[in-house]
Amino acid sequence: MDNNDVVAARRRALQEAIHSGETVMVSPTGQVQLPGESDDPTRPGISVPQGKLA
Amino acid sequence: MAFYWYQSDPDLYRAEVQAMNKFFPSFTIHQLPDGSGRLYWRGKVQPAGPDGMVWDLMLIYKNDHPHAGASEYGGSIQILPVQPRLKDIATRMMPILEETYGSYENCVRHGFGLGLPHIYRDNFGRNEEYFICTADPKYFKTGMTRSTSAASSLSWACKWILLCEMWMNGEISDDVALEGNY
Repeated sequence: MDNNDVVAARRRALQEAIHSGETVMVSPTGQVQLPGESDDPTRPGISVPQGKLA
Repeated sequence: MAFYWYQSDPDLYRAEVQAMNKFFPSFTIHQLPDGSGRLYWRGKVQPAGPDGMVWDLMLIYKNDHPHAGASEYGGSIQILPVQPRLKDIATRMMPILEETYGSYENCVRHGFGLGLPHIYRDNFGRNEEYFICTADPKYFKTGMTRSTSAASSLSWACKWILLCEMWMNGEISDDVALEGNY
């Protein structure tokens, strides 16, 4: 798998996690991440509260 | 006499600052120079990661914070993208949507009347601007002991931005974008 495929696969995983209501995190730079993806385990980011877009 | 929420409830103000400093330390707090007394946070995020777009955002408290009326999408914290400007993106998207749905009226019927999913318009200064609808008002907490913070609103906004970028890239369908389970 080349880098583009890795990026695309990660985005699909993220999209599916969000769509199925699983917890996602947002890092201090604003990057939306899957739980455990953070480079810095001491700063895992904020867990996005449940909520449907208006 | 305290006129503003941050004067009448200093504990809430401290909690807001603490949450933003913890989760989004690059954002800084200011007061709008329009005499309204409204506070706002300003900073940049990159929701899609290092290869994604950088979004320069303002998170503007309404003076009745914390509050969420039935039609207040995103409650008492308004998220205004300064760069890129949503109105500019929406203007570029509208002709594509009109081609897809056949007419502007059909775009409205399908929920794309403003050119992007889940946005609303409001006056800001002398301009009308487009804001991010971060969450249905029923999810915006307004209790005395627990209220939705700017940090939580920003996390919703980052999710919205990721959704919007995916939709513009054709990675998710119009229906999924509009469904709003994001």
